[in-house]
Amino acid sequence: MDEYISFEQVPFGSEDFADNPESRCPCMLLLDTSGSMGGMPIRELNEGIQTLKNELQQDALASKRVEVSMITFGPVSLESDFQTVDNFYPKTLTANGDTPIGKAVAMGIDMVNQRKQTYRENGVGYYKPWIILITDGGPTDDWSAATRLIQEGEAANKFAFFAIGVDGANMDVLKKLSVREPLKLKGLMFREFFLWLSASMKMVSSKNPGEQTRLLPPSGWADL
Amino acid sequence: MIWKVIGQSVIGTSHIQTGKTCEDASSFRIIPLDNDEEALVAFVSDGAGSAAFAARAAEEAVLKSIEFAATLVESESKFENGSIRALAEQVYDHIESLAMDEQVPKNEFSCTLLGFVLLSKKSIFLQIGDGAIITGDDDGFFTPVWWPHNGEYQNTTTFLIDDPNLPNLKIKVTDAPVREIALFTDGLQMLALNNETESVHQPFFEALFPLLRKATTSEHTSILNSRLIDYLSGNSINARTDDDKTLLLASRK
Repeated sequence: MDEYISFEQVPFGSEDFADNPESRCPCMLLLDTSGSMGGMPIRELNEGIQTLKNELQQDALASKRVEVSMITFGPVSLESDFQTVDNFYPKTLTANGDTPIGKAVAMGIDMVNQRKQTYRENGVGYYKPWIILITDGGPTDDWSAATRLIQEGEAANKFAFFAIGVDGANMDVLKKLSVREPLKLKGLMFREFFLWLSASMKMVSSKNPGEQTRLLPPSGWADL
Repeated sequence: MIWKVIGQSVIGTSHIQTGKTCEDASSFRIIPLDNDEEALVAFVSDGAGSAAFAARAAEEAVLKSIEFAATLVESESKFENGSIRALAEQVYDHIESLAMDEQVPKNEFSCTLLGFVLLSKKSIFLQIGDGAIITGDDDGFFTPVWWPHNGEYQNTTTFLIDDPNLPNLKIKVTDAPVREIALFTDGLQMLALNNETESVHQPFFEALFPLLRKATTSEHTSILNSRLIDYLSGNSINARTDDDKTLLLASRK
């Protein structure tokens, strides 16, 4: 006689899952902290970065997947290497110095490439990196090499580069620098911008086969 | 009843949040053969998140694949590479015609496609895009038919409709019979496969197959089939993946 088995009761399915590291979604912030950012702009920028951290932290998957790195200029300085937001403690930025955008972009791209290499060496999957430049001026250094690096990287689908101009930014130069159309920040709406960025990062870092870099509309914070 | 099969496609939490439907699809058919044998045909598909008609593409790709494969089985096809490729081309043509009817670019119907045809003395596997097919040996040890390869980025893969020449179509035909097999879409890949060692995470399947092995009636499989929905939509799985997920399991007596 067949043994009696309760098909409703016997455990079915396990919670023992493969222990794969979460895929990572790198986000590189290149932030202008030159003298002209002093006062309200730098204060709003600092609060905006905090908003980014808080927003990403509240999302179960984004908090495990999105890694933020921060480079400030000038002079060019790595403020924070790639970390998931739980370990991202942005220092309060102060404004002084010039605007070496060329050097900051080159360093940012180099760090993104290194980060990908680290992922690959550790068997960690990753999403397309985003590089975000925020400036209220124009480059005070040679930016021809940076332009070429951005063009090559975008053409090879290595990263997505976005330039955001704050009031006073040389939008003509940003247009030449960035393959994507630069966007002009409305007033000092850094908070709205970083809310948009965190929502976009959540979208990028959630699984969506075949998704190209499809942006949320930059509503609210951009002068269109 | 030779083949015992259960399979479900369950919506992911990110799709619920964004008001999307489930864009995975799965289906199977058991075809009686001579000598009291049975052929088992099964396909699953994952519609691309960016495609407007992802759900319909996945559904149609799966149903058409089953229909065409069943026709091959019934016509006693030898299932050589050519006939299997022709099957995939027919599905491609069907999906392309749907896009034409809707007057949208064909990539609005992007979806992956993977499945198998199991005969008593022949096993046929095919796959385009991510997701995985794994088979169990007599000791209940599971190995992937192919290791799934995404593009450089985690959220990119290849789709049936990408290219009429189907350059990314993988086909495998063996004379080895299969006793146990599982098909799943990429939503479960991170849970069921170990990336570092490129191996199947055995405990995932060891907690599912034993009960299916013991099923002897259609009532048993139907209970397990509804328990599979509970499992796939449960908190433990949703904590690890927000994507749609499909799992189909088959075990033969």
